[in-house]
Amino acid sequence: MNKAKKHHPLVDVKEPNLLEDTYPYSLPPLIRFKGPVIEYIDGKAVEFDFGAVKDRNILISDTTFRDGQQARPPYTIDQMVHIYDLMSRLGGPNGVIRQTEFFLYTKNDRETLERCRALGHKYPECTGWIRALKGDFRLVKEAGLKETGMLTSCSDYHIFHKLKFRSRAECMDTYCEVVEAAFAEGVRPRCHLEDLTRADIDGFVLPFVERLMEMSSQVPEELSVKIRLCDTMGFGISYPGAELPRSIPKLIYKLNQECGVPSDRLEWHGHNDFHKVHTNGGTAWLYGCDFVNTTLFGFGERTGNPPLESAIFEYIALKGDLCGINTMVITELADYMRSIGLPIPDNYPFVGRSFNTTRAGIHADGLRRDEQIYNIFDTEKLLARPPRVAITDKSGTDGVVHWVNEFFGLKGEDRINKIKIHKLARWVIDQYDEHGRLTAISDQELEAKVKELMPDYWEKYTQSLRGARYKGSQK
Amino acid sequence: MATVEERVKAVTAQVLKLDPDQIKLEDSFTADLGAESVQSIELVAMFEEEFGIEMEEDAALSVETVDKAIEFITEVCKEQGVDVEQ
Repeated sequence: MNKAKKHHPLVDVKEPNLLEDTYPYSLPPLIRFKGPVIEYIDGKAVEFDFGAVKDRNILISDTTFRDGQQARPPYTIDQMVHIYDLMSRLGGPNGVIRQTEFFLYTKNDRETLERCRALGHKYPECTGWIRALKGDFRLVKEAGLKETGMLTSCSDYHIFHKLKFRSRAECMDTYCEVVEAAFAEGVRPRCHLEDLTRADIDGFVLPFVERLMEMSSQVPEELSVKIRLCDTMGFGISYPGAELPRSIPKLIYKLNQECGVPSDRLEWHGHNDFHKVHTNGGTAWLYGCDFVNTTLFGFGERTGNPPLESAIFEYIALKGDLCGINTMVITELADYMRSIGLPIPDNYPFVGRSFNTTRAGIHADGLRRDEQIYNIFDTEKLLARPPRVAITDKSGTDGVVHWVNEFFGLKGEDRINKIKIHKLARWVIDQYDEHGRLTAISDQELEAKVKELMPDYWEKYTQSLRGARYKGSQK
Repeated sequence: MATVEERVKAVTAQVLKLDPDQIKLEDSFTADLGAESVQSIELVAMFEEEFGIEMEEDAALSVETVDKAIEFITEVCKEQGVDVEQ
């Protein structure tokens, strides 16, 4: 065993220290920083102040209708308009969800865009997405958009093997001609550096971005090029000390500090091939990229993109404030997505049917005594989803009594105690011990048993709860 | 009328499926008589029904032995104005 280097005496207290500065419960747990972070770049120690994120104008952008649609059958126009409307309510009046991008190629694409814009919402702003072809800017112009994304793939896999350029110089010249065409049409180009985390950063990416910045210096600010850092294959790494081209800290530093792309013109677009997508997005924010590009529930090409709803909670946690965000709309969006056939796994964070459902009796006992013990934050207030228990052989009487109180919507002194539900608890246990059951007990089964075994309570509480609460629990 | 002790033993025997004569005053409901979690709840519920009283959940469930249960129930009956045979 290593010899202890520092003694840590017990700090005995009579009152619990619940660390409420970090865990306020009314908000998601806050992300707080202490001191600078050092990254060694080209042998030089570079300091980053993560705490500054609180005052920076970081934002979320969305690609639910572009990358998100590449992972599923197309949405109908009505569905997209409704999702756009909800997204606007979610992001709130400050436009935390600042932009969303649309395809422009088909009649349906263009009608969707028109109908979304006709809603009159200031945010999310609508932008386009086109191939890097000069002729495609006509579509952007006709749609009346001020900004469009365009593919400027930058790894040699793409430059040589996919796009069949004969040299990097030919590739760069071609991209720059398209950027010139955008300027000529009065459209701001957002260059999507596809496959960036597999590209030659010094040999192609930085020279290309330098040239884009030089070109941008010749046009009005509102046309200057934005850069989307596309981690197309999910290779990006957040760890300090990681090497280029996979290092997110170094990529952002080089584009931001060496090439001079301002933070408000940098956007991170990740993929989830290695389960790193959400943290990589947050990392991009911290190292100086103002935009994180997301999709609702992470739906996107292959393994998907940073989930928009997770970015929302990360945003609140970093800012320490709701910033006008209406988190309740997340639940509404999830319900809507399910209603149109988009599957969301039961254990999916924030919106899965069981994301705050506990099955173990010992956890249920904690919930019964104080829901904060086993609930991540006030999920009822922020998501209209109070913590729940699912009933199995592991639930115990604590789980059963928690379920009953939730079902009747009873709080505080009104909550029924364990003694009153003993018949129901016995029925649950016999299901497993006597009848060999192997599945969880559904809400519908329990409801029927409450009616049968607890008729007085059923009469009393369902009578008085015929209104909204009872209807809610039936959903 | 049967005494509190006789009634407590009868209820315990019924819930835990035991012979009342086997139940001793010093027996622990869990360690000696084998009461599992749900049976502890059932015992408290059946005592309430037998004596026509309401017991505070945590206090009732913290009673460990038969003699302590007799003592506790007698006290609750007294508080709630329920006549019992000592």
